[in-house]
Amino acid sequence: MKNKNLKQVGRSVLKVDGRELVTGKAKFCSDFQFSDLLHGYACRSNIAAGIIKKIETTVAENIPGVVAVILPEDILGNNIIGILPPFDQPLLADREIRYAGESYCLVIATSQKAAKAGARAIKATIEPLSPILTIDEALAEGARKIHPSGNITASKNLIKGNVEKAFSEADVIIEDTFETSNQEHAYMETETVCAIPTGDGRVTVHASCQSPFHIRGHIAANLNVPAAQVKVIQAYTGGSFGGKDDAATEIGSLAAIAALKLDHPVVIANEREESITGSSLRHASRINYRVAAKKDGTIIGKEIDILLDGGAYAAESPFVVMKALIHSAGPYKIDHVKVKSTAIYTNKTYCGAFRGFGVPQVTFACESIMDELANKLKMDPLEIRKKNALKPGDPNATSQIFQKSVGIVETIDKVAEVSDAYDLPTEDQDRYLYGTGFASMYQGISNGAEGIDVVGASVQIMQDGSALVSIGLTELGQGSRTVFAQIAAEVLGLSMDKVMVKHVDTDSVHDSGPTVASRSTTVGGMAVYKAAGEVKNSLLKMAAIMFKTEEENIVLKDNFAQLIFDDKAKIPLNEVCVAAYWTGFPLMNLSFSKAPESKYDQDTTQGNIYIAYNYGTHMMSVRIDKLTGEVKVLKHLAVHDAGKVVNPKAFEGQIEGASLTGFGLAHLEKIQYKNGVILNPNLADYAVPTIKDRIPSETISVETYNPTGPYGVKGIGEPPVSGAAASFANAVAKATGIRFKKLPITRQVILEAINRNK
Amino acid sequence: MLIEFICNGQPIEVDVPADMRALDLIRDELGLTGTKCGCSKGECGACTILVNGLPECSCLLLAPKLQGRKITTIEGLEGPGRKLHPIQEAFLEEGAVQCGFCTPGMILSTKALLDRCPSPTVAEIEEGLSGNICRCTGYTKIVKAVQSAALKLNGTNL
Repeated sequence: MKNKNLKQVGRSVLKVDGRELVTGKAKFCSDFQFSDLLHGYACRSNIAAGIIKKIETTVAENIPGVVAVILPEDILGNNIIGILPPFDQPLLADREIRYAGESYCLVIATSQKAAKAGARAIKATIEPLSPILTIDEALAEGARKIHPSGNITASKNLIKGNVEKAFSEADVIIEDTFETSNQEHAYMETETVCAIPTGDGRVTVHASCQSPFHIRGHIAANLNVPAAQVKVIQAYTGGSFGGKDDAATEIGSLAAIAALKLDHPVVIANEREESITGSSLRHASRINYRVAAKKDGTIIGKEIDILLDGGAYAAESPFVVMKALIHSAGPYKIDHVKVKSTAIYTNKTYCGAFRGFGVPQVTFACESIMDELANKLKMDPLEIRKKNALKPGDPNATSQIFQKSVGIVETIDKVAEVSDAYDLPTEDQDRYLYGTGFASMYQGISNGAEGIDVVGASVQIMQDGSALVSIGLTELGQGSRTVFAQIAAEVLGLSMDKVMVKHVDTDSVHDSGPTVASRSTTVGGMAVYKAAGEVKNSLLKMAAIMFKTEEENIVLKDNFAQLIFDDKAKIPLNEVCVAAYWTGFPLMNLSFSKAPESKYDQDTTQGNIYIAYNYGTHMMSVRIDKLTGEVKVLKHLAVHDAGKVVNPKAFEGQIEGASLTGFGLAHLEKIQYKNGVILNPNLADYAVPTIKDRIPSETISVETYNPTGPYGVKGIGEPPVSGAAASFANAVAKATGIRFKKLPITRQVILEAINRNK
Repeated sequence: MLIEFICNGQPIEVDVPADMRALDLIRDELGLTGTKCGCSKGECGACTILVNGLPECSCLLLAPKLQGRKITTIEGLEGPGRKLHPIQEAFLEEGAVQCGFCTPGMILSTKALLDRCPSPTVAEIEEGLSGNICRCTGYTKIVKAVQSAALKLNGTNL
């Protein structure tokens, strides 16, 4: 895995699936056309809590085009979705409604319009319950239990050292409480699936999805058939960011049930409103944060209490609880840490995975208070971060020690270098306030505490010297197919045009778990690296016979096998492949990559959790209009240690996109509720950043070599969300002199605060 | 009702219900699925087509309104021999495509912009694409792609 002379890894090759996307030829799930296609449309609750008394379907069934109504009793299996214990979410609500937007039946018709008309004509008698809408209401003594187990979804502790002692020895103690709001994924393609009965008792489900193996399992369980009867193929997927992990299991199961019952292909395409109200959101949070420090800025202890509002069902809350817990102390060496992280049920749309997975919330709190500490000690914000930053060999909050690839100090130094050379404008100070904010963060790569982390990949080389990669992780726009192609091409000495990467097909590849946790490049890349390596061994053996030399004298390069010491002595790789085939060397390999297992104490969360961390430091400079509250981001710099960067342009794209999502979380986006009903379930009232809201992100990579990833890689998909959101909050605080403790810090909030402070 | 229009240079004659959306005509009847539906409310721009050269959300346009017009969908941009249009090329080269769902609409809005404004300023690019939402890229590379496409197209025209 030496990084010398890399041909494909480290190069901004074009996106391998880009051509079909710019020409409109890529088939997304709604693009499949069948003459006998039926459409499903869910009937959803318009109140947040209630008991279902009666569902009348007759009027709906008589609407022209309606062919069936699927009720909970039509589900032959367990009527459960949700990928984690406590498995508390019904596919169709059969007794109790727990959030506005929850489905309780599905209408099938010959068009989506007819299906929707049918759903509107369903008469449901739902006896309303008083909804529980806030963390405090849910935790109040005697509160109604949203689930039989109560209103606490999951709770975990992290205990390192003796935090009480640290606080007793502190020179300075700072405490504050921070809040964040729900955020909607707002991928441009809503959740869509298409289920096709294949006549052999099996069902094929094409899905816009993130984790096809989760869908397969849920469909099988809800159909009450063996999983081997279900095939899931990922269609081109128009963004996911975590959101299509849960949601696709729901509509995938419903479509499969309807398709088998009616023996027709069935498509379910959520409308935008359904996508917002009826699928997961980012957890809202309330975080109490206490820091104990010495006069010189050394942080000696942190005590943190995290409450996550997870909405009506557990979904991925138990894992978000863990991730927030583990990351809340930040990328710093702190000897005494005590954290409690808890997710709470409320009668609102359930919360699940969203790019960052709990880390943006805790990073906002951590980095806001870091600046307050710097202020109190009259220290430079970067200096105090660097003073406390983890170095190789330091134990982090879970006492995990990395000897390599801990690049947080490098990211701080790089930001300092740019920051020193940057002059914040000073024009028109009567009207404008200016400020620069910083934030450091880290994010674990791999499933870590969430369980086993395995990926299967196959690589086969054809006799013409072209290769096909198959892997169980999904392309969602992040560019993973391109990265996998680059790794396979690198190992096999192929040009990029010789490598194809399949969409995930659960029939043809090992269950690779979910495509999450910024792990594709690292763990998935390793599986491709190993599979390609086995194929390469066959080719080297064959070439050695052809050259009459030893394998170690041969390299595969530029579509040739050539001698190391004489690059003019070369055989076209296709000739080697033909010979290898006819000699009987295997030309295909299925490999398996298993990340080192996490081992930690369940009570204290002390131990080894992740296989690597991405480290980052962001700088954001803003100009605020005192008259209107309008914020203009003048400069945004995102410096990350993502290990070896496989594709610099795709790396930039990940940072630019994630940063704007972080900016949206911090400044623009807010789900508004009234009595538990979302008031702004559309893209006009819910402010997804447009091109006019974009921020001028610059990206810099400080490459460290990560020994657990092929060629030293780590991941980059999620981490920038946290850095951008937290640095925005610090920039606004710097400019206004006011500490904002709740996201989003909207223009209106800023203006009101400025006016109050006058 | 029977309507006639030109789609990607081809004359089309088709019988449509009066309340059919142009988006559904294009996708379901003409099979041109490159035009995407993101919100059905004219808020996201994924369904953008060009009608007589101007960008329109086809989800808000009734099919009969196409009568006598010339429309361009993403399928109409590729040249003979599968040659990419310079705008498509620029989006691909600049990394302005991630999931690709907004891309057809984004490219068509870019075409409309560059047709009327061959060398746009950044502010003009922002104005021209303000009706198209992208959740993946953060738009930085989209702006670069539009600038690069403008250079390519101006080069061709010289």
